[in-house]
Amino acid sequence: MKAAIQNTLLGLLCLLASNVQAVEKITIQLEFTPDIEAGKTTFSVCARCHLPEAWGNADGTYPQLAGQHVNVLMKQLLDIRNGTRQSSLMFPFVQQRTIGGYQELSNVVAYISTLPMNPDYSKGPWKEGTAEYKQGKKIYQKHCSSCHGDKGEGNNELLYPKLQGQNFQYMSQQLGRVKSGLRAVNPVMQAVIVDLEIEQLDQAVNYASYFEAPK
Amino acid sequence: MGNKDKNQLSRRHFLKAGMAAGALSGISLPLQAAVTADTVAKDAASADSSPALHFSIRKLLNEATLQTAKGARVVIVGGGWSGLTMAKYIKIYNPAFDVVLLEKRPEFISFPASNPWLADQINLDFLTHSYIDAAKAHNYQFLNTTVCGFDRVSKNIFTSNGYINYDYMVLAPGIEYDYSRIGVVDPEAQLRLYNDYPGGFVNSSEIITIKRKLSSFKGGTFVLSVPNGEYRCTAAPYERACMVAAIFRKRRIRAKILLLDMNAEIRIEKQGFKKAFSSLYSDYINYLPSAEISGVDIDNKTIRTEFDEYPFDDAIIYPPVRASSLLEDAGIANLKSPQKVANTDPYKYHVIGDEHVYVTGDSRSQPFSKGGHTANSEAQYVAEVIAAHALGKEVRWRSPQTMCFSAVDINPLQAMSIITFYKFNEKNKEFEFDRTHMMEDWSTEGGQASLAWAEGMYRDMFYK
Repeated sequence: MKAAIQNTLLGLLCLLASNVQAVEKITIQLEFTPDIEAGKTTFSVCARCHLPEAWGNADGTYPQLAGQHVNVLMKQLLDIRNGTRQSSLMFPFVQQRTIGGYQELSNVVAYISTLPMNPDYSKGPWKEGTAEYKQGKKIYQKHCSSCHGDKGEGNNELLYPKLQGQNFQYMSQQLGRVKSGLRAVNPVMQAVIVDLEIEQLDQAVNYASYFEAPK
Repeated sequence: MGNKDKNQLSRRHFLKAGMAAGALSGISLPLQAAVTADTVAKDAASADSSPALHFSIRKLLNEATLQTAKGARVVIVGGGWSGLTMAKYIKIYNPAFDVVLLEKRPEFISFPASNPWLADQINLDFLTHSYIDAAKAHNYQFLNTTVCGFDRVSKNIFTSNGYINYDYMVLAPGIEYDYSRIGVVDPEAQLRLYNDYPGGFVNSSEIITIKRKLSSFKGGTFVLSVPNGEYRCTAAPYERACMVAAIFRKRRIRAKILLLDMNAEIRIEKQGFKKAFSSLYSDYINYLPSAEISGVDIDNKTIRTEFDEYPFDDAIIYPPVRASSLLEDAGIANLKSPQKVANTDPYKYHVIGDEHVYVTGDSRSQPFSKGGHTANSEAQYVAEVIAAHALGKEVRWRSPQTMCFSAVDINPLQAMSIITFYKFNEKNKEFEFDRTHMMEDWSTEGGQASLAWAEGMYRDMFYK
């Protein structure tokens, strides 16, 4: 989706600027040193819904944010800010006028990543030993582990979310949203979700929900 | 016009109206009956020029103009927070549905965040939104019309634009004031009380009147009341007391706010409001709990409780509330229930015995806290229930969520907040609060969050 828009924009730019033969993408990397104390203050806005612990809840309305990779949190905030990830309610909260600029975003994601995870987060319905658990393990190892890791540890550098400690319902609902076109994700993730049935996806995240959460 | 003429006209029309009424009382009305009635209406139009009667017949018995339905039609009665959210999400969960939203008001003005508006913390543009925008953004039809009746056998809704056939109907008509519960029983007295001292929770003209009252109040005693029972927006009357006090403080007028609470104590965020009343507004707010209002003497500007009388110079009288009388019109209201709610399935929201009619929002029968966020989160779930029902499936129940901000001070806006869910207590057989978190230390971050929250909710209901 994003790529399509970029291509269209690039195409338009080419048409409009006759002197320009090809427009190359420009990548800007910026570095910020997070101020965790300031992040805590900023998070008090977020905590109105996400609650001070940022543990999410069993019915999947809110995700476990505590202990997530900073780059993953940052990517989600920016995706919501620019509308790539649709969340009407979150949208005004992550705009510059509310939360501030990159420094403030850096502060808040750094603070969230230091929060301990809920040790008692909600797990899927199929315990170890059940047929669904085993099936989920197979699916996970085949389709998910190469990015999200054998133990759901994710990858901060490559922006793959940590699945450890994530509430089962949240993962299940988000996959459902991607499958029905309500949430845009990267093409690799998209392809995996399209290929699998809802039941298989649920089994995979059921398996992931039993990973040990980092202390 | 002379009496005689009037009577003659009336008699002629009565005959025609009688035929139409006959068609109506035949219950399974439309098509054939409508055609007959349509002929009657046309006859009436050509026979004489009395406007009232053939207006009502034609409007009632012709089909309202809408885009032709391509799929099963879901008609939502009421464009508040519940209806708007329902219309959007039902279309998301089942794009094949033809979704029609009916609302009698031409535009939307938000009650949530209206207290900070009274105190000039935001402007009216912030609260005002267009139903046309909402319908465009979320691919449904909006009809600005007033609903006047129902026939659940032929599945028709009668409106001031004509009748509308439905496959599913969602009733989200909200609340009405119940002045009888503060001892004002005579309908004319009720109407006068409403016009002189509107409560500010049903019609947006009320809050505009209130704002004007507050900016022109010369001083003296200003009464605010808190109803008992489940009323709309539990924290709002206390929040409003804070905002009114902040306005009077800013205007430097000598005024006393008499906050008459029909409850034994502050209903929500008790510590926070107590602290706000004593630390910020002790010069202004006089809080009186257990003030069971038993009557209002409008001529003498006096409110009566069982033991006392309170004279006032101006007032905002928020009486207890009940479900919209549209539920009665639909024949589904339980008139013995205190709020005259419908008998519905507590998890699936449909009327018992009719799985094609649902009741949501502040007129629901479950005792969830009435308010915008509850209605929004609930409607997202019920939209899924209805979409699943059409496919012969079921959805697992999930609790609505109540997120509520209370402005405490202004310039800059400072607010506290509460978030809660609900669960069914199997032992007591009733719903109760679950996972309640109160954040009663008001702050500018809270104030900022409250406005971002409101903006996010408007975005959800009105825009892409």
